[in-house]
Amino acid sequence: MKDLLRIKSLLSSDIEAILNQQVKKEAFSSSAYLAMASWCNRNGYDFSSEYFFKQAEEERQHQLKFYKYILDMGGNAVSPEVTGIKQEYNSFREVFEDALDQEISVTNAIKNIYARCMKEQDFVTMEFLNWFLKEQREEEYKARRALELFEVIGEEGTGRWQIDKHVGQIKYDSEA
Amino acid sequence: MIATTELTLWTDVFSTKTGAVYQCDTERCWYVDFAGKVARFDHRNFLKLRKAVYSIDIEQKLLNATTDPDVEIIFICACDHCYVLSLAQIISLKDLLEGTFVMLELNHIIHDRLYSNSL
Repeated sequence: MKDLLRIKSLLSSDIEAILNQQVKKEAFSSSAYLAMASWCNRNGYDFSSEYFFKQAEEERQHQLKFYKYILDMGGNAVSPEVTGIKQEYNSFREVFEDALDQEISVTNAIKNIYARCMKEQDFVTMEFLNWFLKEQREEEYKARRALELFEVIGEEGTGRWQIDKHVGQIKYDSEA
Repeated sequence: MIATTELTLWTDVFSTKTGAVYQCDTERCWYVDFAGKVARFDHRNFLKLRKAVYSIDIEQKLLNATTDPDVEIIFICACDHCYVLSLAQIISLKDLLEGTFVMLELNHIIHDRLYSNSL
């Protein structure tokens, strides 16, 4: 008897399901960043708003990468429903705290998929995920650095204006 | 009834008292013999059937005290077949499909361990 399921798809149904969950997670991240961009813009933090617009676009690209990978491997990619996006923040700092929390949660999710692939010996998907693991270094660095600015500059006086200006300049260019 | 000429091309995947699933390698599809009919499913539709059956909340249906008819319609988009089943039949079909997918998984493991290495 032929292994028809394997002939049709490289992905096991479990891996396909968690990759689809990740598609949803990345879509959620993208929408959350968009809401952050809106809040920053409305409150006069234009550089931060621009920073979050870029982040939203990056998350969207991550979502598409997962989406196309599932399809390319013969799986069924599911377009996700995204609901429950937080639209209002109590402070400028809270926006960046939430952004870091979100990145940590994405890193954890990718680690979980990796662990699952390891268990199933799905080396193909593991190799695919390597790009994301490296990407998370940058994402977490940037989110952590933004929060660090609140410590080193301080929010008093023109502090928030300074922080906003510096957020736009955050870069991660480590070759390691 | 299934014609004997066809049977030679079909491999038993799993069967219960209420039904059976066969695989046809040449057509790359599965035949589900259940609820008085034999229906052909390709890969996509077979997975859709599984999803449709697994997503029925049997417990909720058992606890449902309303007078609604105890019938579920399983309709699969872009598929010629449709099932109208009672709760007992849904439980049987779920059993049949669960067993089938365990067997297909087992077949995958056997292919993986025995044949892939010898190529």
